[in-house]
Amino acid sequence: MRIVHYINQFFAGVGGEDAAGTPPSRTDGAVGPGRRLATLLGDDHEVVATVSCGDDHATSAAGAIDEIVSLIRAEQPDLVVAGPAFTSGRYGLACARVAAALVAEGVPAVAAMHDENPGVEEAGAAVVVRSGAVAREMGPSIDRLAAAVARLLAGETVGEADGRIGKVPRRNVLVEKPAAERAVDLVLARLGGDRSATEVPLPRFDPVTPAAPVDDLSKTMVALVTEGALVPDENPDRLESARATKWLRYRIQDRDSLPAGEFRSVHGGFSTVWANEDPHRIVPLDVARELEREGLIGGLHDEYLVTVGNGTSVADARRFGVEWAADLRRSGARAAILTAT
Amino acid sequence: MSIASRVGAPRIVPTKGIPYPAGDPSVGTNEERAWRRRLLERALEAVCTPVSKPTVFEVEAA
Amino acid sequence: MRLSENDEVGAGNWGRRGRPLTRLVHEVTALCLGEETAYREGRLTVSAPEAAAIVAAPALAEVRVSCASPGEPVRIVKLLDAVEPRTKGRGGAGIFPGILSPRRPTRGPETHVLRGAAVVAAGFLPRAQEAVVDMSGPAAPLSPLGATHNVVVEFTPAPGADWEDVDTALRQGIIALAARLAEAALEAPADAVETLPGVGEQADDGLPRVGVLTNLQTQGKFKQPFVYGRSFTDSFTTLIDPNDLDDGAVVSGQFGHPGLKNSTLLYQNHPIVEAMRRRHGSELRFAGVVLSPEPVDQAAKEFMSAHAARVCALAGWDAAVVTKEGGGNADADMSLAMDALEEMGVPAVGLFAEMAGRDGTGPSIVVPPMRATAMVSTGNYDERLVLPAVERALGAERIDLVDQAATDEIEIPMAAVYCSLSPLGWGRSTCREAA
Repeated sequence: MRIVHYINQFFAGVGGEDAAGTPPSRTDGAVGPGRRLATLLGDDHEVVATVSCGDDHATSAAGAIDEIVSLIRAEQPDLVVAGPAFTSGRYGLACARVAAALVAEGVPAVAAMHDENPGVEEAGAAVVVRSGAVAREMGPSIDRLAAAVARLLAGETVGEADGRIGKVPRRNVLVEKPAAERAVDLVLARLGGDRSATEVPLPRFDPVTPAAPVDDLSKTMVALVTEGALVPDENPDRLESARATKWLRYRIQDRDSLPAGEFRSVHGGFSTVWANEDPHRIVPLDVARELEREGLIGGLHDEYLVTVGNGTSVADARRFGVEWAADLRRSGARAAILTAT
Repeated sequence: MSIASRVGAPRIVPTKGIPYPAGDPSVGTNEERAWRRRLLERALEAVCTPVSKPTVFEVEAA
Repeated sequence: MRLSENDEVGAGNWGRRGRPLTRLVHEVTALCLGEETAYREGRLTVSAPEAAAIVAAPALAEVRVSCASPGEPVRIVKLLDAVEPRTKGRGGAGIFPGILSPRRPTRGPETHVLRGAAVVAAGFLPRAQEAVVDMSGPAAPLSPLGATHNVVVEFTPAPGADWEDVDTALRQGIIALAARLAEAALEAPADAVETLPGVGEQADDGLPRVGVLTNLQTQGKFKQPFVYGRSFTDSFTTLIDPNDLDDGAVVSGQFGHPGLKNSTLLYQNHPIVEAMRRRHGSELRFAGVVLSPEPVDQAAKEFMSAHAARVCALAGWDAAVVTKEGGGNADADMSLAMDALEEMGVPAVGLFAEMAGRDGTGPSIVVPPMRATAMVSTGNYDERLVLPAVERALGAERIDLVDQAATDEIEIPMAAVYCSLSPLGWGRSTCREAA
């Protein structure tokens, strides 16, 4: 079978951070970590080409992923391997996006990276195999990757036991029993004491430790934050309407209100008619100022923080949360009211 | 709101609707502003209350 | 609308329990148009002029009747509703109360059923989302209508007719036609006689009392069902005799979410009710059906689902299956009711369609329950499928969803295939991890 390997500029031997802007290129056969992969896969399979790209270029240049994918596609691979990317964020994202794009076109692809790599969330329907955290763990990481690739090439499945991480796509299948009979089976199982039986796994969420309560509100600086996408009317910083990759801050130090016409919501997930009629429906500055003047709160933070919560990836949302908390701590705010849409 | 609880948000104040978390377009301007004030007061009570798990702080009817 | 003798027979003498019902089943194995409407040895012949005259109404300028049978290279598009031909006697005799027959609790111990046939309305209505059924190929097994002999009613609205009048005329028309077709089998020997127990019979058998809470979509015009002939929008939760479902007490007028639709045919054959009847007396005691609306705003959703859960508990249920109609919004009502039931110690199972995105990697459930955990998956709404070209299309010449001729090869989401993700549990689709 024909295999194409995708790696970054560092593992291709082009250079380190100084070469992160290198555009995509292809080389015959296996390069760097691909050599060990080729050896482990044996004579039945061949790493026919290696495609590499600088991490900055791959993750920020417009059209870079398409370019990489077309170089790979030209090799007519039976399967594509990307990484391992370890905990390197940009490399992981590049591997994930390349693999996701290929799988969406019907080309099987496997990416390898560490569980914590943000790329895990972006691999679409591609298989992601666990790697170590750092390049020092290349050996065992390649061993695991090669084993998973061999299984896939043999038409077998790759599961948790094989080091699979990330999302596993759910596909429609026809089964013997109609849903109604399965529902009655399930209700009888529940009555029989089985609390775990289900056809749809419940979503798992990170445990959140609640912050300690505020003791004296009249001495506390309070911040207003929102994922309701309220921005100045011109949207000067180009906040996205969906799938946010960033958050923004706007000064409200010298304002008592957010008039219609000066602010609007660019949220793409609901009708913004009401928000635009009165932006306080998203960021309640008018009332917050009143509470500040009355001395109910010690003060109102000089800025409100904003992003858009609409199809935002969990990884990005987690990052925004961490950054917001750090930012507010630095600025002295000790409580935040998050208006959620 | 059930989503907020489910993802583990510790202190939750239920609002009138997704497109207007701090408002209520179904009532007049003064009434809406009074509602917003009650919402914020309730939110501030919430941050002063110890909680150990997702807890809902309903706004009492006026 | 005349009453038959059948209407008086056995009225009210079944005591403190539900009305027992016997289904006289006539299997339909072939369908054609012919001179006279008749049913003989499995063959249903339909007189097209008679059928068109039954459906005719001032709001309809023209009515066209044709046939579509399983295995044919035929596609039905813009499909609105489907009704199984049933009657209790000449003129309906109590079938479809509130629409064809007077609005009152259904009586009469027998109902004739033309199993394997359906009367189908297809064409444009406002707010209707395009539904597709293929009579052959990969989509045929995904829809209940892929396996039935369908009498398809197409229509042209009268110039200037109000769309609501068109909708009402079609609903009344296909129901009258369905009853008329079933009448053709009144004298025929039944292929099967199915006796349905009256619910609520007391027994000390130690079996758990299990019922089904069925939420109905209630979003006003073109998105609402009718219960005993009245719109269920703004209605309250109610217990209903399941055998009244068999007699057409619940009729669809809901044309959104084709894959997640509960058609009249499926209310007549409520799959969860059928499954519970089959296990009645062996694994469980079938405790009945509760119907509840799906209100639009959050506070009303919370109130109505808590109320519905209490109705189930007050009816003495030990466990419940919960169903919905519609998309992610309706998941909220179902999840809230499941959680409220579990809170009262009544285990609850819900039927959900997954909305996991085209590639199946998105979060499956928009609003999952928090306390309840048992969910049946009826498949992923977003997954695409390719339907091969067909020779003939009914309902419309084009499919607006893909902007193609209705006979073309088309790629559509599962969501567009009529009843493919049936929240009432008709289908055999589910999701599995593609490891």
